[in-house]
Amino acid sequence: METQEAIAESTPVETDGQSDSKRDGQKRFTLGPNDSLEGKLTYGGSMAVEGGGRAEGELRLGGNVEVGNGSVVKALIEASNVTIKGEVEGRLTARDKLTLGKNAKLNGDVQVRRLQIEDGASLNGYVRMGDFEQQAPGS
Amino acid sequence: MIGQVYIEGDLRVGGIVEGEVEVTGDVEIDDMAKVKASLAGRDVNIRGHVDGAVVARKRLVVAKSGSLIGDVRVARLIIQDGATFSGKVSMGAGAATAAPAKAIQAPAPVAEPEPKVETAPEKPAVAVMPAPVIAASKISTPSVIKTATPAPIKSAAPAPLAELRVAGKDGGKAKPVAALAKGKQNKKKKRR
Repeated sequence: METQEAIAESTPVETDGQSDSKRDGQKRFTLGPNDSLEGKLTYGGSMAVEGGGRAEGELRLGGNVEVGNGSVVKALIEASNVTIKGEVEGRLTARDKLTLGKNAKLNGDVQVRRLQIEDGASLNGYVRMGDFEQQAPGS
Repeated sequence: MIGQVYIEGDLRVGGIVEGEVEVTGDVEIDDMAKVKASLAGRDVNIRGHVDGAVVARKRLVVAKSGSLIGDVRVARLIIQDGATFSGKVSMGAGAATAAPAKAIQAPAPVAEPEPKVETAPEKPAVAVMPAPVIAASKISTPSVIKTATPAPIKSAAPAPLAELRVAGKDGGKAKPVAALAKGKQNKKKKRR
């Protein structure tokens, strides 16, 4: 888990430009089943890891992070909204809200403003809620 | 109320509680409740304020009006949007199985041990010799415990436990206990 540059190891990085830019006027990309990301990513927009995609390292986003069902992320995550339905390991900061879906697994300390955990989710770690010592640089 | 409570059955808290609460059934903390105590139960449902460690052998729910500050060991955890929560979460196999054992057999380690209970003479050995604990509790809240809750107060002496069980079974589990608890709380409120 060295944190260097962002390296998208596989090619297909789909950008769902349309719907997402409409949604919140933000950049967004998706790591799909055959995609993986290793290293340090600083990104102004949002990202999603879906369908078995993987990410490892450090993710600092101005927008949101979504980890879909079956995806694995081992990374320090910092984003506005974080939605987890897959597996995440690492420290996590959600400047706004963290949502753990019913199959989510999260191992790591968490700092959030709002927190929602659905039945069936699994969480191990320390949860802190409220003010942030360090605001993320984000975008 | 201030002190330690052990209840076989369910408990509903609508007032102010400080100390240690241990319940074999479910615990419900109402909107207006303020709890500064460690809680142990099967299903724990928090809609009020809780400051203290929580052990839920089955499930912990922090509703959107609820706030919980304290470490948590649970089998399942649900936190609704809007709820406040700070603390360490231990979940899964280890926590789930370890929790009940501790909760039932040795409440002492689960609880925040000494401080808030105003029973200075009381010693940590809660589980071992409950009888002295009762006595200790009575020092701080004598009338309450005697009048409101003869049965649910912790006691290893078989007789009172049996009484409570009977009460729970006969009258529909939750209600009588809840009623008792409420009575308790009201009285406690008055006292404070």
